[in-house]
Amino acid sequence: MKLERITLENFRQYYGRQHLNFAKAKERRVTVIHGVNGAGKTSLFLAINWCLYGKSVDNVKVIDNVGELISKEAINRAGVGECVRAVVELAFLHDGRRYVVRRSLEGTKKQGGSLALNDTDDFTMMRTDEDGQAKRVSNPIGTMNAILPVNIRTYFLFDGEKIDNFAKPEASAEVKDAIYLVLKVELLVRARRHLEAIAQDYRKDLKQTSGGELRDLIERDENARKEREKAEKRKAELSDGIESAHRKIADIDRRLLEIQGARALQQQRDHLGRELKQRQSELDSLVNQIRELTTGAYPIVAKPVVDRALQILDEKRERGEIPSSVRKQFVQDLIENMNCICGRPFLDGSPEHQRLLNLMSSRLPGSLEDDVLDTSAALRPFDERIGKLRNDIDASMKRRTELIGLINELQAELDDVGRQLRGSPLEEISRLEKQRQEFRTDVESYNAEIGSLTERIKNLTEEIAQLEKDIGKAQKDERRGQLLSIKLDLAQRSADALGQMYQAFSDDMRVRIEAKTKEIFKRLIWKDSHFQDVLLGPDFNLEVIDRYGMFSRSDLSAGERQVLSLSFITAMSRTSEEEAPLVMDTPFGRLSSHHRDSITKHLPELADQLVLFVTDEELRDQARKNLEPRIGTEYRLEFDRKTSCTEIVEVNR
Amino acid sequence: MTEPAISRDTVAIDEAVHEVYQKLTEGNDPVDVPFRTMKDVFMWAASLGYQRGERRPLTGKRVTIFRWAQFSPQTDIPLLKALAIADSGDVNVLLKQDDILTIAEEYANAGIHELRTRVLDEFGQPLWNLVELSQ
Amino acid sequence: MLQDRIRKLFGDYDSAIQSVIAGVLVLEQEHISYKHPRVKDQIDEIITHTASKEAERLEKAKARRK
Repeated sequence: MKLERITLENFRQYYGRQHLNFAKAKERRVTVIHGVNGAGKTSLFLAINWCLYGKSVDNVKVIDNVGELISKEAINRAGVGECVRAVVELAFLHDGRRYVVRRSLEGTKKQGGSLALNDTDDFTMMRTDEDGQAKRVSNPIGTMNAILPVNIRTYFLFDGEKIDNFAKPEASAEVKDAIYLVLKVELLVRARRHLEAIAQDYRKDLKQTSGGELRDLIERDENARKEREKAEKRKAELSDGIESAHRKIADIDRRLLEIQGARALQQQRDHLGRELKQRQSELDSLVNQIRELTTGAYPIVAKPVVDRALQILDEKRERGEIPSSVRKQFVQDLIENMNCICGRPFLDGSPEHQRLLNLMSSRLPGSLEDDVLDTSAALRPFDERIGKLRNDIDASMKRRTELIGLINELQAELDDVGRQLRGSPLEEISRLEKQRQEFRTDVESYNAEIGSLTERIKNLTEEIAQLEKDIGKAQKDERRGQLLSIKLDLAQRSADALGQMYQAFSDDMRVRIEAKTKEIFKRLIWKDSHFQDVLLGPDFNLEVIDRYGMFSRSDLSAGERQVLSLSFITAMSRTSEEEAPLVMDTPFGRLSSHHRDSITKHLPELADQLVLFVTDEELRDQARKNLEPRIGTEYRLEFDRKTSCTEIVEVNR
Repeated sequence: MTEPAISRDTVAIDEAVHEVYQKLTEGNDPVDVPFRTMKDVFMWAASLGYQRGERRPLTGKRVTIFRWAQFSPQTDIPLLKALAIADSGDVNVLLKQDDILTIAEEYANAGIHELRTRVLDEFGQPLWNLVELSQ
Repeated sequence: MLQDRIRKLFGDYDSAIQSVIAGVLVLEQEHISYKHPRVKDQIDEIITHTASKEAERLEKAKARRK
């Protein structure tokens, strides 16, 4: 992140619209902002924090006292009911893209001078992409988290009052936190934790998906298909067998015709056979006919319906609710002519007249009347139709019985012929007939078997269809299970990898910080010969070793402690290898001039961009001289006691 | 004949008895499959329902099985109207085709069970059972 | 950059693992300011995506062997 420019509008003591530009060149990367105490340094520092993070982010309090963010002067000048707004806009560069973040808080001036504040502020983040278009960023928090998360901001947007936090003995937790967050060790910890958790879920899920069901289903499907194939083959065999038997029977019939003693009987058999076929075909058509009749024979059963309906219609007609075939016009004519339907005149006011009038008034809606009449008309013939249906069915059933009788008779006669032939004194005839009978028996048993095979095949086909459905579902389940296994494997192995690498990484980071802190501390402290080493142990205690090999943190002066903390912070900034600005609010206030001089000499090298809010006291003489060649822009905060407003004034260089 | 107000022209049955309708109409052998169309099954069922004096409202999911146009104008439509009149005791029921259909559907919903029992469940082939039912 | 250093840390693991870890770490970074981030669904997405690719790869390998 590299700050470019900040614009304030009616923010605290900054009345009106003011801005300042941050120095960001390689050589001149320091921005200095002067102001006496109370001039507005802290407010400006606050403006940066508030703009980026608001008053709090996920319960991380960014601003302690929101109180009066909006300029009092602006409120004063506003009329009752008028809207007053505080806005801070921050432009910065990150990863080659330009971002503009804008936050505003609005309120309405009330009667009596105070302000009715809106509950929430307005926040937008815009990003300019490659084609130069500025587009709104839809996930600003996530984006800020990738640039400069709120919970590590204090290592970069740095409050000078807190400068010796890390060198305090009880600070090990803070040191650890700092390293974890800034150096991303925390990422590994969280990633591992979450991946473990999700692997657990996958494991549970996997247990529930079924196992060898699919194999079993496939086997059953195969068996069913095999059986069906067998059945079909057998059916074909049997059909062939029937055909062959028929041929043999035909041969025997022909042969019998040639033999003297059998000719007459065989002729008779042929004749009977033809007639039997005819009768059977007649019976078949008759059955179809009966079906045609019966399917539409429901009026017979519906007779009570028809009767009841007609009964109701008649009742209504008798009560005069329905003109039976008297139409409106007809009635009107009658009344006009004062003639009854039979031709007799009736008198005005007479009962006949009254009846006709009633008839007229108790009429049904036109179309309903027609409908009723038509329905009535349609229902009357039903009795006759029902009668006819009944008779037709009766007759057909009778004929069926007749035909069955005839067929049975013919069958009996045929049997008789067969018996006679079998009992023939001529051996050849008897033998042939016996064979014939065997063939006939075969045909019958083949047909029976074909019947049951057909049934079996139908059942198997249904079974196979169901199995196919089940297999499809089981395959889906199995695929899901397979995917789940892979997911589990990935999640677990990733978690394990993180577990394995995390310790090494954490140690690596700690060691780097230790080395860097030592390097910077040595550079900054003027008494460097006194201190031999800086240690950052696995317990995250920041220790200083003196030349006697003793822990000497407690021997550090206040200033030295501050420098140690500063060293730690800048070491973190360097080690994180992120491009980030160091914004410091009165960092030198409590340092001795020696330390100040030393720090100002090295500080510009320790950050990619440096913004310093200082009092004139802090930046004097040598300190000033040290920073001078690196200063890019300089501002002065001028506070007007009369208006209580601050103006940002650029210092010409 | 003037048509009363129409808002639906499909005839539906309860999903639960759809299987019975199918069994009674699917197949080739006339002795096993005595009904030619589902409309016929429906008319039989409705007539039987009235005979039993039972109307059963459709409760579950509805399955449309045929359209009003399937009804024959000389036989079926007068019968349906007669059913509506006989049921309600009033001619005004003819004003709404919806009501006529509903009445028929509910009688059919009751009668279908009787039809199934007498035709399929009883001993003997379905066609002859049906013939017996009509005599 | 630190991210690169982290990525290199896992360079010895197979590409599917690297893919998952890389995705999850970016996700964690985006949610670093939250004390209790809700990232489970998104992590599941990352893993499912990688796992599907793995499954495909295995299918192809199996088909080739046949």
